[in-house]
Amino acid sequence: MSRAFDLERRGSYAAAAEAYRSVLATKPGDASALLGLERVLLPINRSAEILPEVRAALAANRSSGALFGVALRAWAAVEEPDSMRAVAERWALATPGDEAPYREWGAAALSRRDRAGALAAYRMGRERLGRPHALAAEMAQVALTDGDYATALREWIPAIEKIPGYRVTAVATLSQAPEAVRPQLLRLLAREDQFAARQLESELRVRWGDPLGGLRALQSSLPADRGSAVEALRGILDQLRTSRTQEALLAQGRVLEALAGRSSEAQASRLRLEAAQAYSAAGDRDSARRMLTGLADDRTASATVASGAGTTLVTVLVGDGKLEEASRRLEDLRQSISPEEYGSLHRSIVLGWVRAGELGRADSMLGADSTIEGLALAGKIRLYRGDVPGAIESFKAAGPYAGERAEATQRTTLLALLQPIEADSLPALGAALLQVERGDTAAAATSLEQVASQLPAAKGGAELRLLAGRLAAASGKSGDAERLFRAAAVKEAPATAPAAELALAELLLGQGRAGDAVARLEHLILSYPESALVPQARRTLDRARGGVPQT
Amino acid sequence: MKRREFVARSCAGLATLSPLSRVALASSVAPWLLVPMDDAQADHLKAYGLTFRLLERGGRAEWFLNYRNGSFLLPADAATARDAALAGVTTEPLDDGRLVQIRGQLQEGNMDAVPLEKAPKVAVYAPPNAAPWDDAVTMALNYAGIKFDKIWDEEVVGETLKTYDWLHLHHEDFTGQFSKFFLSYAGAPWLVDMVERNREVARSLGFPSVPAEKKAVASAIAAYVERGGFLFAMCTATETLDLALAADGVDIAASYADGSPMDPDASSRMRWDRALAFHKAQLELSPTMPVYSDIDGHRVNSPDRRQPLGSFTLFNFSAKIDPVAAMLVQNHRQVIPDFYGLTTSFTRDTLKPSVIILAEEPGTPWVKYLHGERGQGTWTFFGGHDPEDPQHQIGDSATDLSLHPHSPGYRLILNNVLFPAAKKKELKT
Repeated sequence: MSRAFDLERRGSYAAAAEAYRSVLATKPGDASALLGLERVLLPINRSAEILPEVRAALAANRSSGALFGVALRAWAAVEEPDSMRAVAERWALATPGDEAPYREWGAAALSRRDRAGALAAYRMGRERLGRPHALAAEMAQVALTDGDYATALREWIPAIEKIPGYRVTAVATLSQAPEAVRPQLLRLLAREDQFAARQLESELRVRWGDPLGGLRALQSSLPADRGSAVEALRGILDQLRTSRTQEALLAQGRVLEALAGRSSEAQASRLRLEAAQAYSAAGDRDSARRMLTGLADDRTASATVASGAGTTLVTVLVGDGKLEEASRRLEDLRQSISPEEYGSLHRSIVLGWVRAGELGRADSMLGADSTIEGLALAGKIRLYRGDVPGAIESFKAAGPYAGERAEATQRTTLLALLQPIEADSLPALGAALLQVERGDTAAAATSLEQVASQLPAAKGGAELRLLAGRLAAASGKSGDAERLFRAAAVKEAPATAPAAELALAELLLGQGRAGDAVARLEHLILSYPESALVPQARRTLDRARGGVPQT
Repeated sequence: MKRREFVARSCAGLATLSPLSRVALASSVAPWLLVPMDDAQADHLKAYGLTFRLLERGGRAEWFLNYRNGSFLLPADAATARDAALAGVTTEPLDDGRLVQIRGQLQEGNMDAVPLEKAPKVAVYAPPNAAPWDDAVTMALNYAGIKFDKIWDEEVVGETLKTYDWLHLHHEDFTGQFSKFFLSYAGAPWLVDMVERNREVARSLGFPSVPAEKKAVASAIAAYVERGGFLFAMCTATETLDLALAADGVDIAASYADGSPMDPDASSRMRWDRALAFHKAQLELSPTMPVYSDIDGHRVNSPDRRQPLGSFTLFNFSAKIDPVAAMLVQNHRQVIPDFYGLTTSFTRDTLKPSVIILAEEPGTPWVKYLHGERGQGTWTFFGGHDPEDPQHQIGDSATDLSLHPHSPGYRLILNNVLFPAAKKKELKT
């Protein structure tokens, strides 16, 4: 055997086959040798040659499941369904009550793409075993290959009840169901009262973008038993952690809070901190504060948990606009956190003052922060004061890479917006962009349009209209957006017009006005052939004309 | 003397082009656009659409066979220049002097200029339901911007087919056995729909079964070619069309399709004289195996006989003596990765002697791309399903051709679409 293994390991399959055969010649019922022979014949496309050894093995050993399995696959390879059936029935007689003969029979049929044969094997297994849910996982997988998600779901529930580990596969496969089918699946799940169904429903809802619905489904039938409840909560938490949407973060916070309530004190502190962080990221500051109550000042909590709670509390306070208290808390924490973390929280408080409109206070608190993030923040303060050249200078000094990707992109966009403007001071522009910073996009769009009306198209007017249009579109004011994009797409501003035309075309496409979109895109491509946006415009044109599949 | 002749020919070539071009001649120093089809081209596939649309507008073009991998000469009128810019097709302005030089090169080498005069009217044979697989030709036509109509059995059996110049078949099973997925995908919604529609159409056309109706459809398609139609088929439509044609009076369909089992002696009773490309094939007798015969060399759905994919090589043809075959193989790549289909390739032993092999996999018993004549018309068979998705599976999403603008496999499909536009007298093969 060791020689056979060695030859197989080296890839000498033909020689390995002979070595396995020599073992089988003296010990025909040796399952390891027969399995080895099966393995090495496959890559040299000689699987059918195993039949004499299979017959001898079955004569010598009438009860080994491994041998029966090889026999099934061998008969499948030579397309002998009657022989497959005979082997499976012999195996079933040898091991009454066992699902394996039918499972392997079905698998062998599937290897020949014989779905009907596989289904017949599984159905016969159910009937003979007298268990209506036997081989449920196998039936579910066959149903899935047909795209029959409803049947697959009905089969997965008993399969999971029997072996909970199937839940991962069930969620992974059922979550692929097309959107149109999902309501039907949820209705089917609602009719089932087993906890396995609730768990499956909760995780599927999370996968389908309804994390809070998923959590509700789970909480409605969470077992009283602490161990089972914790396991179920951990299961949904794993699903929730794959998403960073606000709802998913909120659901994460609630699950972590529920877990904390079922955990020992030391573990509960950490879970409450994680819950607070999730709530804070989701914008639910009340819940975050509730979780943090006592935690930040708890002398018994570990240092890591205490400092984590402290920093989270600073973030929550900044979000609440309680900037003075946030500053005090941060100073208390200074010795227990890293300089980088301190700097980051310090700048978040500065940004809080910016958003509060206290630009002087923000400027003085930022001081001479020479980090690239600090320079970027200084640029924003200058910009919101209307100091256009100062803002450009700071943004250039910060470079295009500081901070997170979204911040870097925003800064680069702002730089492109400011550079054509010749005015040294434009407080109205600063005020409008501060409205954007505060999230008041509707008011910002109006203010930007007013500023744009005072500037020539090529000297910032068109760029500001384009930005105003984008804000209007984001606010759902598509009529205003269209007007502003059209106003920005003028030949006097050749650097802005292609982007405005593309934005307009996307807006029109979103409204189902493909003909109008095509006209704008054609105009863009023909009028600005050198624009870097032309490839994107051509791609959008293909989409508008139905030349490429919708994605 | 020779030079004087070729200059005269060049001038004649210029004079035959569109009146639009004469306007351009007067107003521009570069009255022509050369559409290079070598690696300088930004979008090979859309270049065909550009040429096709020019023909649709009543313009005329020339196809420079083997010159820069099959370039096109188009008039530099405003509409063509606009269309090229929109499509992102690379064009090179060409003045008369440079054109004369090119024509000289065409004369001296294995090259030729084929006039393209009329946009063919294109029909794609496709069922009305959405099949769970993509159709390479429909995608190529959509991407290139070439208009086509979808037709199905009623139109083929009726009078509509003869109004088209070019017909495309793809994954259809003309043996009427629903791609032999009837058992392996029993119950799948798309298959249920396919079976129901086919049976309904067979009933409405007065046939006792789908196999009987598909035989009639196959005969109508063969008659269309006989009368001068251009047929292009891919994937399993190639093999099953010939099987359906040859199975005159022979039951080659499993009992699930027509209620009676397949004739076990079917292979010996086939009338291969009725088939377009194949003869002497052995039919697959198993109703569960999605394989029809030994025509396909790869048999992708037969676990024990499935062959691995290699690459196929296009043959070179004389552009002056064999312009049809030369047109069909114009490409910027000679060796192209192979791709599976329900019928992937064609075994050499089953080819009729009259068949022209356009591409083969050297050293293997199969070929990939065939051409032949029947009566006044021609047919071309191309094995495989989707040139840019070698393992295409049922349910896979459609290929986005904007990600494959240089696809050499898709170019072969589009060669076929433009080939019927060539001036008839030039077709010597």
